[in-house]
Amino acid sequence: MKNIFKGSLVALALILSSVAAKAQEAGGTLAFLVQPEPPTLASYVSTSGPIGLVMPKVYEGLFDYDNDGKMVPMLAESYEMSADGKTVTFNLRKGVRWHDGEPFTSADVKFTILEVLKKVHPRGPNSFREVSRIDTPDDHTAIFHLDNPAPYMMRSFSAYESPMVPMHLLEGQDIKSAPLANNPVGTGPFKFVEWKKGQYIRLDKNEDYWQEGLPYLDRIVGRFIPDASTRTAAMENGEVMYAAYNAIPNIDAVRLKERDDIDVTTDGYSMINPMALIEFNTKEGPFVDPAIRRAISTAIDRRFMIDTIFFGYGKPATSALSSNYKATNLHAEMPNYPETGDVDAANAMLDAAGYARDGDGVRMRAVLDIIPYGEDWRRAGEYLKQAMGDIGIEIELRYEDVPTWLKRVYHNYDFEMNVNYFYQLPDPVLGVHRHYGTNQIRQGTHFVNSSRYSNPELDALLDSGSKEPDAAKRTATYQEIQEILANDMPVVNLFELEFLTVYNTELKGAYGSAMGAYGSFREAWLED
Amino acid sequence: MLAFWHRYKRNRSAVFGLVVIVLVVLMAATADFLYPFDPFRLAGKPLSAPGTNGFLLGSDSLGRDVAAGIVHGAKTSLLIGLIATLVAVFIGILFGALSGYYGGQLDNMLMRITEIFQTIPSFIFAILLVAILKPSIYSVVIAISVVSWPGVARLVRGEFLSLKSREFVQACHTLGMSDLRIMLREILPNCLSPIIVIGSLMVATAILIESGLSFLGLGDPNIMSWGFQIGAGRTMLRSAWWVCTFPGVAILITVLAINLVGEGLNDALNPRLRERN
Repeated sequence: MKNIFKGSLVALALILSSVAAKAQEAGGTLAFLVQPEPPTLASYVSTSGPIGLVMPKVYEGLFDYDNDGKMVPMLAESYEMSADGKTVTFNLRKGVRWHDGEPFTSADVKFTILEVLKKVHPRGPNSFREVSRIDTPDDHTAIFHLDNPAPYMMRSFSAYESPMVPMHLLEGQDIKSAPLANNPVGTGPFKFVEWKKGQYIRLDKNEDYWQEGLPYLDRIVGRFIPDASTRTAAMENGEVMYAAYNAIPNIDAVRLKERDDIDVTTDGYSMINPMALIEFNTKEGPFVDPAIRRAISTAIDRRFMIDTIFFGYGKPATSALSSNYKATNLHAEMPNYPETGDVDAANAMLDAAGYARDGDGVRMRAVLDIIPYGEDWRRAGEYLKQAMGDIGIEIELRYEDVPTWLKRVYHNYDFEMNVNYFYQLPDPVLGVHRHYGTNQIRQGTHFVNSSRYSNPELDALLDSGSKEPDAAKRTATYQEIQEILANDMPVVNLFELEFLTVYNTELKGAYGSAMGAYGSFREAWLED
Repeated sequence: MLAFWHRYKRNRSAVFGLVVIVLVVLMAATADFLYPFDPFRLAGKPLSAPGTNGFLLGSDSLGRDVAAGIVHGAKTSLLIGLIATLVAVFIGILFGALSGYYGGQLDNMLMRITEIFQTIPSFIFAILLVAILKPSIYSVVIAISVVSWPGVARLVRGEFLSLKSREFVQACHTLGMSDLRIMLREILPNCLSPIIVIGSLMVATAILIESGLSFLGLGDPNIMSWGFQIGAGRTMLRSAWWVCTFPGVAILITVLAINLVGEGLNDALNPRLRERN
């Protein structure tokens, strides 16, 4: 008996040591959840979440960022910045080829930045606003000339944020409607193979990837499963191994966490900094008056939403800026953001502004559009309908599919209020300015200033905020910005989301990038 | 009428079905009295078990009262079931009567149209219609009617075909009655019983389709219904069984009762079948 015990101990030790010593294994197919199905694959035109899950595996950026926020060389091997911060020279990697065999050169970088990202990308015009000229002395050097120093630009070179696209397939075409959109050709570790609408997107290993030995996986399949319970079941029986951005509802994630083969993490979202919010149409409809928008912000019980709908994952918003900016001293707490809601104060605000209740106790009626990204948002819409009913605003809810919804809000401005979430990203210049600046009223571009809010005073402050090199002065500028926004509220922030990634523990190496699920998966591998 | 009731009550399960339907109708009619508040109201602690925190049947993930939802949802289900059926029966009678009575080219054309609708799987077709029309109570009613009428049209056409060559109809022709009058006053009343039976069964189907659509999130998001309750509660079936169990039971009982009544009507209206038990 003793011997058996000893023997099994030795065996166990052997197994353990072999697991520890096990190297990355090549091969295998990774199925992961993409929720919802992306409207297009043009990650250089839209930053819509599901596109970000798929395309950074195909297109690459100049750099990636590790979990400590450090820059990891990708298509650029290194960079040098001049002393005045106005010239940045990128040394590009040699021997990189597009999936169609053409070489990747500095001309692609120049074209991508100046003709694509700066013109049609939702956030590109902000990230690269100071870039006036790019010189390409040879195929592997790109020199960016900036009008003003722009340190935030160095945070936006990831494959998700600024994908490098092939000039030879886009030049001379209308970028927004070019066929490259749904037949992507990148430099990344995986090649696009097919997109079966309503079912899956398949990416196969790029055998000619520039980094020898990578990627490990043979194939990645992004599956679309519209129903939340079915997604959870697919995770449970191992049909899919990775589900980020709350594709598995929190209630199930909390339950699955208890299993040995499944784990949950909130890592991989630090560059994303997501904020749930309500966008208002400030030009027409019932919410032109800022007093109503302030009252709505005051009435909402943010704590209730977080606790009941998102199972405690989240932080109540206290300003237009996320509390994650406390690290750089940019965040300040503002009025009109009570954590648990103050219905009496909100009613008093509406009374004072002269919006009387009619016989049914209704002050006004409005339609609330809901982001079509799953059950949780539906519950959020149902809660908001009740909360606004308490202050006499009768709400009708409207759910549509993603393309219809995007078109309604960002192309046609045919909405009154819209529940959404925005990524505030590592710096307000990248993630927040696009929401409020007059120059960000860009019809047809997704996730920018759909409220059509325009305030010259704020525009001037946003401008100085993006150029100010002095940290203390920058803090003061953003203090002022937040005060204006807490008063005008073209957008009411609800809460800072904490996303969950649910993954099968057989999947390794997918967590090294600060981009999380928006990373390349080039080092991901499966342990069998 | 009394003789009809005598025939009907021979079928015990049909009587049981009738009692259940009357109860459901009563529940729907007194909904605003039993639960005077909006069923979407956040009434208390979320996910309370049945019998706790003042919730008879528990509360859902936002703290909405499940019992209030069932009572108000009964109104929606019955209303949609009845209206959709009436619309479908009307369209069905129109198509079936014209086609059976006149025959020939018209019959050919109308039946081909009917077949187009019959060949599309009805629930998928309903989903498609609601998705295109944007989910609302009107689009749901339209979708259910559009997928339900072909059965009625087929039935009515068959009845008209067999009745139009009978002596009493020929007598009407001889008397110089107009076609419209013959159809409405002579033939239609004679084929009412199968229409009533199929119509009553269609109410049950309509309720099921509505629940299915709401379950998939394609119901009217502003109106409480049983399907919506199940859809909203299904993600937490393992941790809070009551959220979708009770509305599910409500659907089961109501649909069963309607089917029993339909069966009973069939027995009572077709005297030749009445001794079959």
